[in-house]
Amino acid sequence: MNLFDAIRRPFGYEPIIKKEDLKKDPDKKTERADNWKSTLTRIWKLVDEQRLLLIVVLALVFVSSALALLGPYLVGRVLIDQYIIPQQFGGMGVVILWLVVIYIGHSVALYLQNYWMVGIAQQVIYRMRTRLFSHFQKLPVSFFDKRQHGELMSRMTNDVENVSATLNTSFIQVFSSILTLTGTAVVMFLLSPLLTLLTFIIIPLMYVSVQWITKRTGRLYKEQQRAVGDLNGMIEETISGQKIVKAFSQEPRVMDEFLVKSERLKRAGFWAWTYAGFIPKVMNFLNNGSFAIVAGVGGILALNGAVSIGVIVIFTEYSRQFTRPLNDLANQFNTVLSAIAGAERVFAIMDETEEKDDLVINAEKEFEGRVEFDNVSFKYEGAEEEWTIRDVSFEVKVGQTAALVGATGAGKTTIMQLLARFYDANEGEIRIDGTPISSMPRETLRRQIAFVLQDPFLFETSVYDNIRYGKLDATEEEIIEAAKKANAHEFILKLPNGYDTVLKGDGSMISQGQKQLLSIARALIADPVILLLDEATSSIDTVTELKIQEALERLMAGRTSFVIAHRLNTVRQADLVFVMEMGKLVEAGTQEELLEKDGLYANMLADAKL
Amino acid sequence: MKTVFSYAKPYTFYIVIALVLMLLELFVELMQPLVIAGIIDDGIVAGDRDVIVRLGIFLMVLSLMAFASGVANSYFAAHVSQSFSFDLRKAVYGRIQSFSLAMFNKFPSSGLITRLTSDVTLVQQILFMSLRIMLRAPLLVIGSMIMAFVVNPKLAIYLVVVFPVLLAFLYIMVKKGVTYFSFVQQRLDRVNRMVQENLQAVRLIKAYLRGKYEANRFSEVAGSLKTDTVKAFRIMEIILPILLFGMNLSLLAVLWFGAFEIRSGDAQIGELVAIVNYAMRMTGAFSMFSFIIMAFARSKASSERIEEILLAEDVREKATGGEGKILRRGDIVFENVSFTYPGATTPVLKNLSFHIQPNEKLAIMGATGSGKSSLLQLIPRFYDVSGGKVMIHGRDVREWSLSALRRTIGVVPQQSLLFTGTISDNLSWGKEQAEQEELAGAAVKAQIHDTVKRFPKGYFTRVGQKGVNLSGGQKQRLSIARALVRKPSILILDDSTSALDVKTEAALWQELDREEATMLVVTQKIRTAMRADYILLLEEGEISAYGTHEELLERSELYRKIALSQQEEEVDEFV
Repeated sequence: MNLFDAIRRPFGYEPIIKKEDLKKDPDKKTERADNWKSTLTRIWKLVDEQRLLLIVVLALVFVSSALALLGPYLVGRVLIDQYIIPQQFGGMGVVILWLVVIYIGHSVALYLQNYWMVGIAQQVIYRMRTRLFSHFQKLPVSFFDKRQHGELMSRMTNDVENVSATLNTSFIQVFSSILTLTGTAVVMFLLSPLLTLLTFIIIPLMYVSVQWITKRTGRLYKEQQRAVGDLNGMIEETISGQKIVKAFSQEPRVMDEFLVKSERLKRAGFWAWTYAGFIPKVMNFLNNGSFAIVAGVGGILALNGAVSIGVIVIFTEYSRQFTRPLNDLANQFNTVLSAIAGAERVFAIMDETEEKDDLVINAEKEFEGRVEFDNVSFKYEGAEEEWTIRDVSFEVKVGQTAALVGATGAGKTTIMQLLARFYDANEGEIRIDGTPISSMPRETLRRQIAFVLQDPFLFETSVYDNIRYGKLDATEEEIIEAAKKANAHEFILKLPNGYDTVLKGDGSMISQGQKQLLSIARALIADPVILLLDEATSSIDTVTELKIQEALERLMAGRTSFVIAHRLNTVRQADLVFVMEMGKLVEAGTQEELLEKDGLYANMLADAKL
Repeated sequence: MKTVFSYAKPYTFYIVIALVLMLLELFVELMQPLVIAGIIDDGIVAGDRDVIVRLGIFLMVLSLMAFASGVANSYFAAHVSQSFSFDLRKAVYGRIQSFSLAMFNKFPSSGLITRLTSDVTLVQQILFMSLRIMLRAPLLVIGSMIMAFVVNPKLAIYLVVVFPVLLAFLYIMVKKGVTYFSFVQQRLDRVNRMVQENLQAVRLIKAYLRGKYEANRFSEVAGSLKTDTVKAFRIMEIILPILLFGMNLSLLAVLWFGAFEIRSGDAQIGELVAIVNYAMRMTGAFSMFSFIIMAFARSKASSERIEEILLAEDVREKATGGEGKILRRGDIVFENVSFTYPGATTPVLKNLSFHIQPNEKLAIMGATGSGKSSLLQLIPRFYDVSGGKVMIHGRDVREWSLSALRRTIGVVPQQSLLFTGTISDNLSWGKEQAEQEELAGAAVKAQIHDTVKRFPKGYFTRVGQKGVNLSGGQKQRLSIARALVRKPSILILDDSTSALDVKTEAALWQELDREEATMLVVTQKIRTAMRADYILLLEEGEISAYGTHEELLERSELYRKIALSQQEEEVDEFV
């Protein structure tokens, strides 16, 4: 009982695969094969213009495999049988010279095939990476809302690396294994059909045992990759959110969670690696077994003079050579499996639907800036709550500034995000200059909009490059000009390297308010037709705000602008005020109209006076 | 490498078992040519059939033995390597958790992530390999060599003559490999960093239409990763052909001189065959070498990177801390406090001194970049002062144990960061064993309870990474509730109500007024500052003014300026 338990749960690892699971397998076999086929085809497509070189590599593999067979043959059959045993030394030098040539050829072919293969493999990986990355750029915002960053990063690195490792070595290995296998089998058969058949006895055994193992490892590897992704997601989140972890002394809690996920990976890893580890052992066993058979039976045959000693020497060597590629193949099978699992995860992302521009009518359109919302309703994907935006209609004329006010969660930011088409409205229509925005390419739309986001994000590059982000071809003077307008110039000069200071990841070098100043500078330089300011100045002190107010006003003059702010003096300067409440537009109009109405907005102003 | 592999120590017993099992397997393999020599010399040449059968069966038994030990080895090797990496990951992650924030500026988070994932996996793989095959190859070579000497020392000499040259070559290659592969890992860091940055800035990139620009930038980064990887691998690929060629040459030498030895009667054919067999086995093992060396170089590069974390000097977080007594009263004293960010040259705070009584409220105001947030960071010891001292309850914060100190403080940061999980999960960050009522109570105070109730799943609504599915104001209020759950004696609010509308904010402050806590509130709004007992006005890291609202209106020109910038509209004609 105890022993049984020790075998079932070695070192206390709970088994992952259940018997029932394995039985379910056959039904899905064809489907899986199809998946593999399409995954492999897609990788093949990535090889692209390197295909010719790949064929050269294959030819070289052919050469080196042939030479690898020729070597032992010459040693056993010619050198030993014809020269050494009969004690004939004339001409032996020539054979040796030939062998030297063969060995040189073998080494050169080996080097060249690897040299080129590394190049091809890394090029394929490079393509895979960059394509995955550009695909990221085309995915809708809602895609990123649903996923953990770390998990996505894991696909970009871990899974891609898996494919990379396999392409580097397995491809050549698999091909040369098959070649060596066939070649050896043929030569062996020519030398002694009987001994060859004896060697072949092990093949069905091999097949059955490898199948038994891979049936398990395939699942286990998948589970392992999932566990890796999950763990990475958690790691990324807690490391980038380190400040909160510390502030709340939640290190133990985070650690516990980490250990649970890490434990899961350990368990999956243990089983995957253990089972995968069986393969070479089984191979070795069968290998050694056939070695014994060849030696024993071959010896008896030699007694009768049916085979020569040289043949036995070659055979013992060949039977190794014969099983080694099988061994390699079986080994490679595992890495190939995990690589396919990785590639599938990568391709799964590439198959996510992009933000698509259907119904493109006005590809190149210069806006004037009249914005209309016509009965627009919107609900976040997968959200079970009610509508985030419900039946909103309004019009903002060219050059007007509209302030969005209302309680938090009323849908103000969503209105802006809909206008920039981060999300598409479920109902109703949004029009610019009378043209529905859903009918124009996002590029046309976004090129003419500048969006200053609630959370200012800065890249880990220089201050200079961060501002330049708004207009890639901006000159240094333009950048400094924009920084001055945004009142950022002074503090930038105080940074260790001025405009060339590289901003660090968590941005502890500069304050939140300074980040906002930089992101305003970034918007200033972009020079858009429509300007969206979402709490753009919330962390900036009011004195500084007054100073940049002028710049903002100048920026907003002649442009259609939307402003979300809780500071009244910002709101008070707007031409129009839209009051939102729980996704609905409850009041709209000019300052005067709303005050006269003495509704919500008027109340707000009165409250603020307190 | 030493530090990293010291984590394998607890498993020494299993490692020994795995190695013994591997040696058993190896032993069998080394016996085979010897048995073959016996079959040929004593069996075939002597014409003894019984010897052949007996030795044949002996070979079979040997293979069974090898198989059993091979399978057992699998279990042990997997267990050791998985446990090792589990412990190593735990140690690295734990170490990162104990880092002070200053360390995060030194190691960007993407670098930390790569180390925890890719680097640990690489090291783990090498351990697994070495328990199974890696040692096997060198041992097989050494074993074959010894056996060859046992069979016929004279012939064996020809076999090993090239060894010193090959070993020197291998040594050079390992050194090269380590350098190249640590480059590769650094490149990988950069790739990771870009991916992470892009994921965080999705909206910004879309808004500015920088998708293609980013893709191009990424091509460059991925391109240099490619170039360096290719370079590293190509160097490594030289190893195998050269090793094979060297071994094959010595095989020929054995055959050539062996032929003469046989003629002179100094050697027998069986012996020569056995040595040739050993030579071929060695050649086979050598083909493993290039692989091993590559793996070794990679894992060495990776372990060095991991050790950077494990051995990083981080003086501060080794809390000088006394016992973990919970602080009750929350009086705070700043005494001549100066502060410069690690690595920076200009001080952010200069000579600050002030005193806050328990349950008092201090508002901190000042221009953008005047040092408000930096001041707050010194209280929970995110950073340590560069001069002077911060005292809580009459004791220097550096004398409190870190966890006791932080447990009494509720921090609401400027950027409200939430984690993947339910709202309940996020709130309970404030207090692990909080009852649902406590969570709801804090939410009520933070003015978020009603909103949460409106979600179909209420407190069990899932929050996406960084709270993507919540509005800015909702996030702020949740993060205030999170701080209130722990009933802190010191509450730090870093401009944490900026996204709240006037009404909600007023209600929130009313609740906060009732809290029994010393409060430090960074704010831009005079309206908020007026509620505080005192106001501290910062200017370029120095105290510009300190006092009540009325006092400051009278005394401070800067304060009047701020007040003016906000009160303009209150004299507005419409209201």
